[in-house]
Amino acid sequence: MLDELKELWRFRELLLTMVERELRVRYKNSALGFLWSFIIPLTTMAVLTFVFGYLQDNGMRSFSAYILAAYLPYLFFQQSIMDSSQSVLQYMPLVKKIYFPREILPLAVILGNFVHLLFGFVVFFVYLLVVWLINRGESPFQPTTVLLPVLFFISFILSTGIGLFVAALNTFYEDVKYLTSVALYLLFFLSPITYMSEQVAYSRINIKSGGLIYNIYNLNPIAVLSTAYRQILLAPQGIPVNGVKQVPIMLDPKYLIWTLFLGLATLFGGYHLFNRMKWRFVERP
Amino acid sequence: MSEAAIEVRELYKEFRIKDASIGSLKTLLMWWKKRSVFEVKVLRGISFSVLPGECVAVIGKNGAGKSTLLSLLAKIYRPTSGTVSIQGRLAPLLELGAGFHPDLSGIENIQFNAVVLGLTRKQVAERTQQIIEFSELGDHIYAPVRTYSSGMTARLGFSIAVHVDANVLLVDEVLSVGDYLFEQKCLAKVAEIRAAGGAILLVSHNLETIRMFADRCLWLERGVMRMEGPASEVIPAYLASDSESATASQIRAAP
Repeated sequence: MLDELKELWRFRELLLTMVERELRVRYKNSALGFLWSFIIPLTTMAVLTFVFGYLQDNGMRSFSAYILAAYLPYLFFQQSIMDSSQSVLQYMPLVKKIYFPREILPLAVILGNFVHLLFGFVVFFVYLLVVWLINRGESPFQPTTVLLPVLFFISFILSTGIGLFVAALNTFYEDVKYLTSVALYLLFFLSPITYMSEQVAYSRINIKSGGLIYNIYNLNPIAVLSTAYRQILLAPQGIPVNGVKQVPIMLDPKYLIWTLFLGLATLFGGYHLFNRMKWRFVERP
Repeated sequence: MSEAAIEVRELYKEFRIKDASIGSLKTLLMWWKKRSVFEVKVLRGISFSVLPGECVAVIGKNGAGKSTLLSLLAKIYRPTSGTVSIQGRLAPLLELGAGFHPDLSGIENIQFNAVVLGLTRKQVAERTQQIIEFSELGDHIYAPVRTYSSGMTARLGFSIAVHVDANVLLVDEVLSVGDYLFEQKCLAKVAEIRAAGGAILLVSHNLETIRMFADRCLWLERGVMRMEGPASEVIPAYLASDSESATASQIRAAP
């Protein structure tokens, strides 16, 4: 694995070029070009604000910000993995003609998506600022925001690990991409993105099980990350459960450590599998 | 200059061919269904070396293993056994332009391909102008590559490959794509690289080109080296071995 990493380092210029290309090609034939990177989080934010502020007012202040804080990282995870699954196949003509470390292909799309995640958070912070300037209440910015890079790191290694895994497998078995898209779709509902993880903790089934359900629920790394992003970026507030406001629950660090461990394991596992399979890509039937 | 630029020892390459065309999970899940897997031994123990400044040609009929050999040298395949070592930077000219992205302009593809071949982005910026001039594409360089003709694509690919300071060139039937003038320009450029100590491995069906350029000739037949020596000895033997192989292409190539 060390040799592979050295080789990757030798080709770092190529990786940077590929990321640049990734960012440029995406909107190449569109009039608004790079602005699309901002338009997606912006429109998401606008629709969320309208729906959860007016159509379905659940009693939480600026609930749309709580959704976006969890949705942006989920979007990064989902897009990275879906783009990775196609990355090698998309560049097959290149792979068959020129040598370069093949892992650059999935890595470039993942890094490209990471840049989009950063843009998304720029929109997020601008939104917080604008809302604050209009309402002039307490500052919405939390000191724990400095922990954001830690969460970015965990999100990144998790996406990269799974991305490498899926990229290698999908090159041979194209069903993998459909399986993955279904899994990611279901994961969206199994993670606290459009609802709060406290609602799971306060659910009748969890209380009856003595907290077991909540523990199992948090085995899902995206569930843990969604809650973690939300809690470091936004102020805690009371959670409405069956019409009663319940106190917020801070995320137990053990879940985060589990997620970090899972991220590292998938990163090493995914990279190992990719390296084992990458020489056979060109011999694909 | 005793160190070989290309050193190939006891090179073997086998492909495992499965009957299923495209892999799917179905083929994995239906493991009990016996699939006929057969091995094709494309190369069976090839050894040779190319010294700096030398031009070596590989000839042989279709299916002799020439393209596989070039792909192994370009590190696209991993050998089944044996070793390939290359001293310095290698530029493969295998089917030019295949590494282009159709939606990007010529100039953007230059930047990308030159980096793949080993230049830093700073070096690429310095040489982009030179590459454009050599390719003679003019304002087309700002148009997407999908709008190019095959000749234009080949010009661009060749221009990039000869401007990356490669000291080992793998040339696979590419000189025939451009028009006559461009072909002459390419051959002059190849000769220049060679004079500067570059090693060239050439695969061609154009025996006339080989006669003119190659110091030595390797004749591959069904994965083994049938004959190795000066072009003036190997080519007549190759032609004589199978009179039926003297098809239209070789007749055309004769002076």
